[in-house]
Amino acid sequence: MSFFWKRAESELQGEIAHHLHHLAGEYERQGYTREEALRLANREFGGATQVKERCREERRWAWMTGLRQDIVFGRRMMRRNPVVTAAAVISLALGIGANTAIISLMDLVLWRDLPLPNPKQLTLVDWKGHGFPQELADSASGSMRPAGGWDVADFFSYPAFEHMRKGVGALASVVAFTHPDQVSVSFAGRPTVARERSVSGNFFSTLEVRPQYGRLLSDDDDTYAAPAVAVVSHSFWAHALGMDPAAVGRAITIDNHTYVIAGVLEPGFYGLSPGDATEVYTPMHHASFLRDGSLGVRATLENNRDWGMQLLARRSRGVEDAGLQPALDVLFRATWTQSPKNPGAAPRISLDEGRRGLGLLRQQFRNPLLVLGGLVTLLLVIACVNIANLLMARANARQKELAMRISLGCGRVRLMRQLLTESAMLAILGGIASIGIAWATATLLGQFLVGFETVPIAFVLDWRTIAIVGAVGTAALLVFGLFPAWQASRRLDASWLKLRAGSVGVVSRQGWNSGRWFVTFQMALSLILVMAAVIFTRNLVAIQSSDPGFDRRNLILFDMRPGTSGYDKSRLPQFYFNLEQRLAATPGVFDAGLASMRPMNIGGWWETVRLAGQLNRYGVSVNAVTASYLPLYTSRMIAGRNFTRADLTSSPSVAIISEDLALKMGGNNVVGRRLAIVGGPPGRKPPEYEVVGIAPAIAATSIKERPYVLWLPFPCDTPQATVVLRTSQPAQMVLPAIRKAVKEIDNNLPMVDTTTMEEQIAKGLQRERMFATLCNGFGVLALVLSVVGLYGVISYRASQRRGEIGVRLALGARPRDVVSLILREGLGMAVLGVVLGVPFLWLGGRYLQKELTNMKALDPGSLFLGLSVLLLATLLAAGLPALRASMLDPAETLRQE
Amino acid sequence: MSMPKKTDLIQGTLDLLILKTVANGPIHGYGIAQRILVTSKELLQVQQGSLYPALHRLERRGVLKAEWRETGNGPMAKFYSLTAAGRTCLRQEKEQWQRYAGAVAMVLES
Repeated sequence: MSFFWKRAESELQGEIAHHLHHLAGEYERQGYTREEALRLANREFGGATQVKERCREERRWAWMTGLRQDIVFGRRMMRRNPVVTAAAVISLALGIGANTAIISLMDLVLWRDLPLPNPKQLTLVDWKGHGFPQELADSASGSMRPAGGWDVADFFSYPAFEHMRKGVGALASVVAFTHPDQVSVSFAGRPTVARERSVSGNFFSTLEVRPQYGRLLSDDDDTYAAPAVAVVSHSFWAHALGMDPAAVGRAITIDNHTYVIAGVLEPGFYGLSPGDATEVYTPMHHASFLRDGSLGVRATLENNRDWGMQLLARRSRGVEDAGLQPALDVLFRATWTQSPKNPGAAPRISLDEGRRGLGLLRQQFRNPLLVLGGLVTLLLVIACVNIANLLMARANARQKELAMRISLGCGRVRLMRQLLTESAMLAILGGIASIGIAWATATLLGQFLVGFETVPIAFVLDWRTIAIVGAVGTAALLVFGLFPAWQASRRLDASWLKLRAGSVGVVSRQGWNSGRWFVTFQMALSLILVMAAVIFTRNLVAIQSSDPGFDRRNLILFDMRPGTSGYDKSRLPQFYFNLEQRLAATPGVFDAGLASMRPMNIGGWWETVRLAGQLNRYGVSVNAVTASYLPLYTSRMIAGRNFTRADLTSSPSVAIISEDLALKMGGNNVVGRRLAIVGGPPGRKPPEYEVVGIAPAIAATSIKERPYVLWLPFPCDTPQATVVLRTSQPAQMVLPAIRKAVKEIDNNLPMVDTTTMEEQIAKGLQRERMFATLCNGFGVLALVLSVVGLYGVISYRASQRRGEIGVRLALGARPRDVVSLILREGLGMAVLGVVLGVPFLWLGGRYLQKELTNMKALDPGSLFLGLSVLLLATLLAAGLPALRASMLDPAETLRQE
Repeated sequence: MSMPKKTDLIQGTLDLLILKTVANGPIHGYGIAQRILVTSKELLQVQQGSLYPALHRLERRGVLKAEWRETGNGPMAKFYSLTAAGRTCLRQEKEQWQRYAGAVAMVLES
């Protein structure tokens, strides 16, 4: 290109020179001297530069060579104005990056299909009814949620599944699976913990998942007689099996039982929803949790009153939900042990779109993600306004240059193209930088968003999203980049150039008033984002600092699972006794206690209780604990006594209730009365307990809620327990000694999920923390962008008023007066922005309220804080130009006029 | 100095005049301007500012081709000549112009 360019240029030069040569010769013949002839020839020919430029435009490759010139020139302009360039690029990158991350996440959690063939054929099989069907089922495991006046539940008995699977015939293929469970796994002598899901034999073939190595499960594996096999996820194979393809065919121990690894799943399959993260799949007939359950596998799978299977179906081609639902409904009813007394309220099959997998995560994060999406969009708008502002300001500063170029022969189209190229260069730079920002934001988000346990969501950036968001930012960039060119070409003539060349004071009258409005608008939007940051931070702080009713420092907790690692029921009581004694005697440990449920883990064991002789029922959170457990939290009982070791070994039915529940039930005289757990299966006598004590009300399930608590004696033959330790020193000082003590008791038993109580509490606040962190990020970004915008406008206007300021200073104004003059202008814009932002804030506040647990969105404290932050930012942005203006030398400025 | 009174070209006729002038044989830009001036008895003045862009445009459209040649009395010059497409183009433009001029004449003399 450059060769052609140079040749064409020299040819053009030669052609014009030739013409001038002839013209000059003409004049020489008329009697002029050589010099005069040349001068006259040049005058007659006219502007050689303009002719050249017009010739270039006619040339075939002109646009390409022109582009090269544009880029070279654009680069020069960027270097000359590094601050403006950096500000524009950073604004664009932040706006696009943050939006891309949030939208990608929304896409993944809310909208994207499972990465399986023909996901539209998948349908979730639920049933809807009114409450738990006590006539039909004794026990259940799964979830039930209210929807449209019904309770929608996802659990079925195994016989119901079998009947539906066989009876539905060619309409669909139905699969069953259980909720994933945490299990102890040992491979090649290394113990670890994994999430295991048991599935029916047709699970993988129906979902059409492919193996990476080996094979997946088949119906032949899903029988009592078949040897126990398991399939592992690609990520589990990568981190726990050493990425060894030869792991297929080797043995793996899952909760004391030996399985053969049949295959490894393809890497793209992340489970039944983003964040599922199941690592080990076993056939239903070899489900490890059923084997260790009270009934055993056979008893559970043949019991049609035990509803614990979740179902999913793949409809055959041409079959719709409307056609499948009645068929499944009939089959479902046929497996009931009795016909319900009220058929209208009896469960009926309810099908739901299954293309995006199980809906738990979607339900949980729908609102938060939409709120965040709204906030991050505001951020993008602020960024675009900033870019517009910067480019307009720069164009204004360049008007003289543009006028000069037009009068020197630059075509208008060419001028537009030059500015377009410069904008595009900014867009490209910003786009590249935004990928890094998006990646960083996404990584941060991935850590906050957790699935069922603490498994980060498999999260990848979506390039389509980057393209969409990038297009928005780029469009803003191009529009506002071209505007000045259009403006310039509209009113460009020599007289305008003369006007511009004159006094700077004149220019300010007609230049750049849009900048003030941009900044005001930005301030209004920033107000919303800053307030969101303040509100969510205060919310988090309020929750975090609320009193759980005990000293949360110096508490350590971890899980032990002796029952799944070789201890049978007869040896467990002795093991737990030794463990507690040994740990309590460890240096640095005050005392140790055991509980069947992990504290501050959103509970997990909920019952309804009633005091004998009373009608009122109360929902309670239940935990079974040892005698030394409650004293870890609180040194006294309100009334009655704590559990004793005898309560645990001789297992009399005794219970302790929390103080708030005792107050509801009638005060301290509740001690000695009998308490019944109600709502169990009909026909069985509800378990009854004697209340022996009343404990202070402490937060047992989460710092966010304070349910009534029922404490029961720790069952010493339970397969697993949570150990809680009260230490005299910080955790990291005592932990080595604790690990050593546990090792001495049994070298093969891992300490699972070791944390401090403070970490455990924080884990329950992930959603609040996500909001606070992201909103703080957005708020800071919005402030930075707005401060840059405000600073730009104020310093521009201050520079336009140099003459005026010089006169004021010369006439005796003090620097202080000048500072306040400039500051007033900045504050004026900020105040106007805040006033404009208030209605939006009021609307937004109602929207945010849904995410706040126990505080009002717009309380005076938050407003005061938010406005103070904005005021400070404004003072910062306006203060610098104000100070600079106050230090002007009057004589110097007046001379420049 | 006083110049003879010259008429500016009617919009759109420059291309036709160039094509016609070039049709007589290879000729450079200055020569084209001169020949138009002479053959029009100094009535038609081609603006240099329009001549060269027009030459480049016609060259790009493929109706003119150019080559560099020695001239008798000066530096190398770029000589333009018609291509085959140029001859067709000239014929069409000429017919069109004659129709147009005849039509205008009829209106004026009616």
